Amino acid sequence: MTGKDIIKITLNLVIIYAVGGLLLAGVYAKTSPIIFIKNKIEKEQALKKMMPEAEKIDKVGDWELWHKHAEYFEAKKGDEVIGYVVETYGKGYSSYINILVSVDTNFIVKKINVLHHAETPGLGDEIETEWFKKQFEGKDLEHLVVIKGETEDKIQAITGATISTRAVTNGVRDGVAMLMKKYTGESEEDSEEVAE
Amino acid sequence: MNHEHKISNWDLIKNGLFGENTIFRMAISLCPAIAVTTSLKNGFLMGAAVLFVQTMVNITVSLLRNFINPRIRIPVFMLIISGWVSVTDMTMAAFAREAYRQMGLYIQLIVAFASILARAEMFANKNKVVPSMFDGIGMGLGFMFALVVISFFRELLGRGTIWGYEIVATKPLLIMLLPTGGFFAVGILMAFFNWIDIRFYGGKGAGGAGGH
Repeated sequence: MTGKDIIKITLNLVIIYAVGGLLLAGVYAKTSPIIFIKNKIEKEQALKKMMPEAEKIDKVGDWELWHKHAEYFEAKKGDEVIGYVVETYGKGYSSYINILVSVDTNFIVKKINVLHHAETPGLGDEIETEWFKKQFEGKDLEHLVVIKGETEDKIQAITGATISTRAVTNGVRDGVAMLMKKYTGESEEDSEEVAE
Repeated sequence: MNHEHKISNWDLIKNGLFGENTIFRMAISLCPAIAVTTSLKNGFLMGAAVLFVQTMVNITVSLLRNFINPRIRIPVFMLIISGWVSVTDMTMAAFAREAYRQMGLYIQLIVAFASILARAEMFANKNKVVPSMFDGIGMGLGFMFALVVISFFRELLGRGTIWGYEIVATKPLLIMLLPTGGFFAVGILMAFFNWIDIRFYGGKGAGGAGGH
C-alpha cells in the first residue's frame, strides 16, 4: 500500500463519515425538540394520573437514592395539600426500578406506577401488571412488606420474581419514609426491617 | 455477473426464510433469539424492527457499494447500520410514541446484531439494489419467523399465555422463560428444521454456511 492509497482510503472514510454525521445531525435537529416536548407532556400526564383529583401537582424538592436523582411533588386542590407524589427507585434483579408513588396526607399509599425497569421479561416484568400494582393501594409503611405466598394485607411476591417484588416494595417504602420524615419529622426506624 | 441461472426475487425471500435462515441455518444473532423471545409480542416486534433495518441497510450498502473502498468497508457498514438505527429510533421517538414505547428498546439493540452486518457483507456489497432489497426482506422475514416460532413456544410453555392472552391458568414450565429455556427452544427447533431438511430435501438446503 503506497502513501497515495492511504490518503485515498482515509479521504474515502472521512467523506462517508462526514456525510453520515451530517445526515444524523439533521435528523437529530428536527426530532429532538419534538421528543423533548412530548417527554415533558407525558411526564405531566403520568403525574396527573397518580392523583386525578388534584388540581395541580407541583415539584417541591429533589432527593437521591441509589445515587440516582429523584423528585417529589405536592398535590393541591385549591390551596389545600391533599397528598404527595414521590419518585423513587428500587434495586431489582437486573436494573434499578423507577417508580412513582402517590400518598394521601396520612401517608397511606394511593397508587404506584412503574415507570422504567429492565427486569427479566416474563418474570420480573410482572411488576408492571395491574394486579401487582393494585396490591400497594391503601397500604401504610408497616404493611409494605413482601410475603411469599398468599397474603391478605401485605405484598404478595410474584412467583419467580421475589427480588423484583422486594425491590419495588422497598422503593415504595423508601419513598414514603422519606416523605414522612420531610413532613412530620418522624423517622420510621422501627419498621425498617424487611421480611424475607 | 452470472446470467445463466437468474435468481428470482421470490427465491431470495425463500432463501432468507428457510435456506439461509439467520437463526436456524446460519446460527448467527442467537443472542436476541434467546434474550427477547420470552413472549410472542416481544419476538414479533423485534423481528419487525430487524426486518426494517435489514432492508434499509441492504439497500444503502448496495447503492454505495461502488464508492466504498474495500479496505474500509466494515467501518462504513457499521456507520450505515448505526445510522439507520439512530434515524429509526429518533423518528419513532418523535412521531410514533406508542409504537416507540413498545419497540424502542429493541431498535437500539439492533446495532450489535451480527446478522445485519453479515448480510451487508455477504450479499448487498456484491449485488444490485433490487436483489439486495429482496434479500433484506427475506432475511428480515426469516429472522422474524424464527423469533416468532421460538417465542410462541416459550411463552406458551413458560407463561401459559399467547400474546398475553391466557391459554392455561398455570405456568407449565417456568424454566422456558429463563435463558436456559431459550437455549433448549433454539436447539430443539434448530434440530427440527434440520430434520425436515434432511428428511424432505435430502439436506441440500443446508446452505453450508454455518459457523459464522
